[in-house]
Amino acid sequence: MNKTNNVNIGGFPFTIDDDAYAHLQKYLDKIENHFRHSEGYEEIIDDIENRMAELLNERIRNKRIVSLEDVEHAIGILGTTADFGADDFSEGRSALDSSYKTGKKLFRDPDDKIIGGVCSGLAAYFGIQDPIWVRIGFAILALGAGIGIPLYLLMWALVPEALTPKDFLSMRGEPINVNNIAKIVEDQVENISDQLSELGNDWKSKRRKKKSGKKKSWKDRH
Amino acid sequence: MKAQMRKGVLELCILSIISEGEAYPSDIIQKLKEQELIVVEGTMYPLLTRLKNAGLLGYNWQESTSGPPRKYYHLTEEGTSFLKDLLATWNKLVNVVNQSTKNLVGNE
Repeated sequence: MNKTNNVNIGGFPFTIDDDAYAHLQKYLDKIENHFRHSEGYEEIIDDIENRMAELLNERIRNKRIVSLEDVEHAIGILGTTADFGADDFSEGRSALDSSYKTGKKLFRDPDDKIIGGVCSGLAAYFGIQDPIWVRIGFAILALGAGIGIPLYLLMWALVPEALTPKDFLSMRGEPINVNNIAKIVEDQVENISDQLSELGNDWKSKRRKKKSGKKKSWKDRH
Repeated sequence: MKAQMRKGVLELCILSIISEGEAYPSDIIQKLKEQELIVVEGTMYPLLTRLKNAGLLGYNWQESTSGPPRKYYHLTEEGTSFLKDLLATWNKLVNVVNQSTKNLVGNE
């Protein structure tokens, strides 16, 4: 003899053994926890619950009561959260993310650097085969207009170094096309202007401190 | 296969399967299982929901004799053109990979 429960799974009534009920309850709780932070969480849970109802229904057919084996059979098909972990697609990027589609990001290349890897990073970014051309460009800017050196230092400070394989991939990215350029320019300009304004604020507050510091020392001296 | 890569490939496969006609998740899973791309059904639902929320898939409810009504998925117009782009990218990728690995041992 076994105690049974009446439950509603996906809108369908089931009579289910007590141990099977406990097992199912635990399983669904785990699923809920697993997907709690996923996009469309409620819909995912509904889908799984509906499928669970369908699987149980197919399984019991002429029996009247859902047993532990039935629940285990259904779980075997749907998979446990441990199985989801094995093919975990809930985290990370997918083909849908725009950064995956366009891919390219400006990095400094630590594998091919003379000073800070700015030139090789730029070369990779613009698909220039040999960074020497970018280096020559910077040298001309440094000698001619004199902005080469500050520009280089600024980029050295602002552009992150490629560290992970993903960084390297997106550093090289795909060959540039109109869409990519538009996206990249948008992103980078936004990024750089953010960082610049941060730098500006830093600098201003430092200068203010310096000024007030100077005043003090001047007063002290007199 | 790395999760990232599999996810992209899986999305491509799901969209391709659905492009052949309205599909129920467990039918899609059956096809993917044959190709050893997916192990359990549970991983499928988040992917479908995401593709749907991205506007690439739509679904219709259909009554079922074996349980609750089923969601049958189909490609939206956007999904069709996305799949086309994705396929083009994929073919390019396959070419590049084949080119770069053709001299490796064990890749005849």
